[in-house]
Amino acid sequence: MDATMTTNELRTASALAGTACVIAEASRAGPPALKPLAALLTDPNVEVARSARRALYRIIRNAGRPGAAREARAVEAELIALLKSDAAPVRREVLWLLSEIGGKDAVAPMAALLADPEAREDARCALTRLPGDRATAALKSAFASAPEDFRFALAESVRQRGGKVAGYPSKRLIPAKQTSVGQAR
Amino acid sequence: MSMTASQTSKRARISRRGFLKTAALTVGAFHIVPSGVIGAPGRPGANSRFVIAQIGVGGMGNTHLDNLLKFQDEGKVRIAAVCDCNENRLEAAFRKTKNQATPYLDYRYILQRKDIDCVLIATPDHWHAVQTVHACQTGKHVYVEKPASVTVREGRAMVDAARANKVAVQVGAQARTAKGAWQTCRAIRNGIVGQVRKVTCWHYVNPVDEEPVPDSQPPEGLDWDLWLGPLPWRPYNIRYEPGTFRWLLESGGGNIRDRGAHQFSTILWCMNADQQTSFTVEAKGREPAKGLWDNPVEMQVVYQFKNPDWTLVWGQPGDKVGQTEFGNVFWGDNGKLVLEWEGAYRPANPEAVNFKLPPGGKEVYRTDEYEDFNMNHKADWFKSIREGHLRPAVDIEIAHRTATLCNLGNLSYMLGRRLVWNGKKEEVVGDPQANRMLGKPQRYPYCL
Repeated sequence: MDATMTTNELRTASALAGTACVIAEASRAGPPALKPLAALLTDPNVEVARSARRALYRIIRNAGRPGAAREARAVEAELIALLKSDAAPVRREVLWLLSEIGGKDAVAPMAALLADPEAREDARCALTRLPGDRATAALKSAFASAPEDFRFALAESVRQRGGKVAGYPSKRLIPAKQTSVGQAR
Repeated sequence: MSMTASQTSKRARISRRGFLKTAALTVGAFHIVPSGVIGAPGRPGANSRFVIAQIGVGGMGNTHLDNLLKFQDEGKVRIAAVCDCNENRLEAAFRKTKNQATPYLDYRYILQRKDIDCVLIATPDHWHAVQTVHACQTGKHVYVEKPASVTVREGRAMVDAARANKVAVQVGAQARTAKGAWQTCRAIRNGIVGQVRKVTCWHYVNPVDEEPVPDSQPPEGLDWDLWLGPLPWRPYNIRYEPGTFRWLLESGGGNIRDRGAHQFSTILWCMNADQQTSFTVEAKGREPAKGLWDNPVEMQVVYQFKNPDWTLVWGQPGDKVGQTEFGNVFWGDNGKLVLEWEGAYRPANPEAVNFKLPPGGKEVYRTDEYEDFNMNHKADWFKSIREGHLRPAVDIEIAHRTATLCNLGNLSYMLGRRLVWNGKKEEVVGDPQANRMLGKPQRYPYCL
């Protein structure tokens, strides 16, 4: 794939030559391919969307190899920009991509999505995976201003990272769903 | 340990609505109940009749429920509850118990019941760790299907929860209580082929989702949110469930995590290598070109152990030596010994069956109460509880180490690079990204 190939060119090439192989090839271009591939995540053709997703992961896992710090930072920068996508599925997937490779620079933009009703749970999980105090501080900070129903989840993350939270006990063990099976007995 | 007959009868008279109301009122108490209070684990009498619940009743869960019904007929257990996030399966299981077990959609109702001593977990893999840890925390002994976990961090949490709460956790890799594997184990350990330098596995390839379909509404009766549990939310697709979760890396991990959990457990046992926790792992595989399933179609994973030095090779398909769909070969200085289907569903090779211990040879222990290896594996679990040592044949620590082999094989494939595993520290040497991927944050509230 040409590193400058646009999403539309990639989509057309996929249709002509077979989705998976073309999109898989795109991952060889590295960081420049992230943006056009991310745009395909919402493609109505499920095969295009899935192939794009796999290509994205291939790029970030290759960039995360030991000794490739510069490439990893380039990938991180591209992904941070994609967090502003209008499409919630893209924002959610990019959060998980960043959970595998994001560094300090990713914390604040990821934390901003803790206020995004469509992506906040993914943002919480992704931030929980990032090492370092900055991510812990972001989770604590979000807790203070989060809607009541989301505070329980944030409290769980803060506790997992060794922090203390007053109130908001875990709901892990509280049953919530009932069945109608056997009710006629 | 178990309830008295009068207590049981009283419990049975409480209406479900009344029970739920009571349960809701006592929810807050969970945070102050000390570990190990419920059921007084480890101190039952010799003739204990365990009160048991089963979580997950589809697929292999059917075999487990059949086993429990036999144990119930023998007066060894009472099946108090069955649970599944699919009401169709739940209804079938409920009927199988002749409407005697209380049906639940949500497993946490089972954990709230103080009369239940043990739980058997046969849910998809991505649920194993969460449900096991929660059951341990509420004082239940656990039998959980293999593989133990889908990440290394989950496995460690399971071990810690079992130890902290003093309960027995048996993992359903049955070979260590099966006759065929036992015969092979004692033969290998006592030198039937001399020093073993290499063990190779063969297994058929992972299938390809050749007819992908778009996402859709979940079928009636399936609580999709509960099925997903710890996984990130996504729409239902029939290629996830029923029964096909196995072919996705995050929920099933493919054959290396499914049958690998059996084969690696058996191989470590035969090689007496449970303590060899450090190794290198390098995986290569071919990604499917189509469909939802993302496990590699063909796959080869090479593990190198040191002191003593030996190599373990997962081959998919690998070099098939035996007649059946999966198995392994022990390559020794003086020949080779084949083991098919980890010696449970298939008998051992005749050379192993007929093997006589040499003078000074060491015998290998196994529980031998039932000819049926599925029954025998559960008998071994009950025995560990009755005897109070709480270390069944496939104790969670052993299963965690086995699952670590499976999970790191998949991780090496996903990352496309060789990993050096420090088993003592449970970390990948010099690879921060790999270490980050040893765990995966879970969706609230379905988390460890």
